[in-house]
Amino acid sequence: MKRKIIRVGSSRGVLLPREVTRAMSWDFGSEIDLTVDKGRREVTLKTIKVSIPDDYDPDHLKQIEDTLTEHEDVLGDIDD
Amino acid sequence: MTKDQTKQLKLLCYVNWLVAQKIGGESGVRNIDALKSVVALPGGDSLTCFLGERLSNRKDLYTQLGWFVYYLIDGEPFNSKNRTLVLLMLAWCLKYYQLEFDVDTLADFIKNLDPMKQGNSDISLWFSNNCR
Repeated sequence: MKRKIIRVGSSRGVLLPREVTRAMSWDFGSEIDLTVDKGRREVTLKTIKVSIPDDYDPDHLKQIEDTLTEHEDVLGDIDD
Repeated sequence: MTKDQTKQLKLLCYVNWLVAQKIGGESGVRNIDALKSVVALPGGDSLTCFLGERLSNRKDLYTQLGWFVYYLIDGEPFNSKNRTLVLLMLAWCLKYYQLEFDVDTLADFIKNLDPMKQGNSDISLWFSNNCR
C-alpha cells in the first residue's frame, strides 16, 4: 500500500493504518524493530521476538509468570 | 562467568522483560557489571536458588537471597522495575521452597530497603526472622 511521509514536529513520519496495527497486535507504546536495506531501498518493520533459551524449563518460567499474575497488585504498587 | 551465572543472568533479563510487558516500565540492562555482581557469589559460586536447584538448608538459601536483594537494589542493573523484579523473584522462590511468608510485609521490606543502611547479611537475617 502507498503511504505519504508526513511532518511530525521537526521529524518525518508514516501513519500505520488500523488494519496493519491490528494484524500485528501493535498498540501505542509497542516496541518494533525497524531495519533499512539501502541497496534494495527498503524499510522493514518487525515485531520484536523474545525467544526463551533452549536450556530453560518452560514450567519454571511459567511458575514465575503465574507468580506475577497472582501478586500483580502488590508488584504493580512498587513505584520504581 | 560460569555457565550457571550466565544462565541466571539470562533468566533475570527474561523476568525484567516479563515485568515490563505485564506491569510497565522500560526493559533492558542499564549496567551489565552491576548485573554480573548480582549473580556471582564470593568464591566463584553462583546464585543458584532461582534456577530450580534445591539448596540443602535455609541458611544457604537466605544467604543467597540476601546477596541477590542487596546487589540488585544497590546496583540497579536494569533500566527500571529493579525492586519489582526482586519482589517477584522472592515471591516465586519462597513459594518454591514452601516457606510461609506474608507478601505485603515482604513488599514493604523491599520498597523501604535502604542499601546504604542494610547490607546483605542484614537482609538474610530478615528472611530468617520473617519466613517459616
